[in-house]
Amino acid sequence: MRKYFRIIVLSLEETLTYRFNFLISRFRSFISTVALVVFWQAVYGDKLSILGYDKPQMMAYVIGIAILKNFVLGTKSADLAGQIRSGELSRTLVKPWKMIGYWLSRDLAEKFIGVIFSILEIFLVVKLFNIAFYLPKEASTYLLFSVFILLSTFTYFLVSMILSVSGFWTEDVWATRWLFGIIFLEFMSGSLFPIDVLPKTLVTIFNLTPFPYLIFYPIKIWNEQLGSSEITRIFLITLFWLFLSWFVYRKLWSQGIKKFGAYGG
Amino acid sequence: MVSGLAAQSQLLTNRSGILFITGKVVRFVLYFIFLYGVIKSANGLTGFSLDQAVLFFLIFSLVDTLAQFLFRGVYRFRSSVVSGSFDLDLLKPLPALFYPVFGWMDILDAITLVPFIGYMAYFIISHGLAVSLISLAGFILMIINSLLIAFAFHLFICSVCIITLSIDYLTWLYRDLTALGRFPTDIYPNKIRFILTFIVPVTVLMTIPAKALLGMVTGWSLFVYFAFGIVTVYLSLRFWQFALKKYSSASS
Repeated sequence: MRKYFRIIVLSLEETLTYRFNFLISRFRSFISTVALVVFWQAVYGDKLSILGYDKPQMMAYVIGIAILKNFVLGTKSADLAGQIRSGELSRTLVKPWKMIGYWLSRDLAEKFIGVIFSILEIFLVVKLFNIAFYLPKEASTYLLFSVFILLSTFTYFLVSMILSVSGFWTEDVWATRWLFGIIFLEFMSGSLFPIDVLPKTLVTIFNLTPFPYLIFYPIKIWNEQLGSSEITRIFLITLFWLFLSWFVYRKLWSQGIKKFGAYGG
Repeated sequence: MVSGLAAQSQLLTNRSGILFITGKVVRFVLYFIFLYGVIKSANGLTGFSLDQAVLFFLIFSLVDTLAQFLFRGVYRFRSSVVSGSFDLDLLKPLPALFYPVFGWMDILDAITLVPFIGYMAYFIISHGLAVSLISLAGFILMIINSLLIAFAFHLFICSVCIITLSIDYLTWLYRDLTALGRFPTDIYPNKIRFILTFIVPVTVLMTIPAKALLGMVTGWSLFVYFAFGIVTVYLSLRFWQFALKKYSSASS
């Protein structure tokens, strides 16, 4: 365990070495949150409720996006694809750790620093725009929310690893990740807006993918907008995606590593 | 010829091209459906009707895609400076800024632009959004102005790259800041609107062309905005000249 802890510390140091880039990336995150807050405030105006969301629930959704984008979707494992294509993976392979442990540690470092700074940014946004956001009334909601966040974090980690190991077979890794890991992920996970404001047909299609279970449903749980039977159903579907992602990742990794030629490495 | 070579290179890997075009179309369509649904439910957006709010989004997409199409070279400039291959570009019989800014026109954006402009023209005509021929002329002038400002932004980023060798985050910061113009900047509080108008001119870049088309900005104001665009380009060119003198060709 100590070596994985060391990887986390080194990853944090690496991130903080390039302080200017890091600060700009945080500023970008801040701007995105401000844009969403202002947009929804403009949409609501004097209205109390739109599209099934009270104003405080929508503000909680926006704040939820800011935190979960850093916690659930914060990742370094995208770099694995580049390592595969450049051959640099050889260097990582000979080190005394499990590949999945290495990338999970790197991800955890990214998530840790992302969440800390996103909380500061949210505090600033809440103060600047005087936002009232929804807090769950039931204590059990906090526990449920935490459980769902953990499940979705591991599911996304595995989905990200699957996208990266596609690098064993294709050179178009960046295009694949851009389409599935950025465009589809952003819209279908609800990390831009709640997906249930879209037409029902689209929501039904999105629900067939793992993406809505990463951000959209956890925030719906926070907002106490789901009944217990629906929460159970979503819990089972999230578990299904977690196990399926694990199985697919293991299969792809074991096949891919046999094909790995270490070109350029 | 430079654009042709860039296009050939980009189309070499068909699969990537298909994935990128699919992504761009999906992103546009889903945003459009989202905005249409939300603003329709809210009966408008801070004084703008549904059609007008959608028009702001369409014009944002137009300016953004045009800038991506024309100035994509900036995203590759850092590697050119770091590897030293910028030296070779400087030897070519073209202005020094040509390759950094225009050296990699994005053909994939050009492919999506054609149907997009067709749809935008249809939307404007079918919803009667162009007030008059004068407003249409004002709109075209302001689109040209937006491209001038976008050019100035990109050239500024290239200049910073020569001095600091670090631009990746600046280009993404530019994208995030301009994304604030996805909706009319009138929705932002006064202090932010001031910043978006006078410090980072997102308002002039994205909102003013739509307002010109809707007849909300006319006459001398258009010329003031155009003069602002010219001054921005001038300052950016001066900074580029300054940065070029700092270029040490250290990597080659």
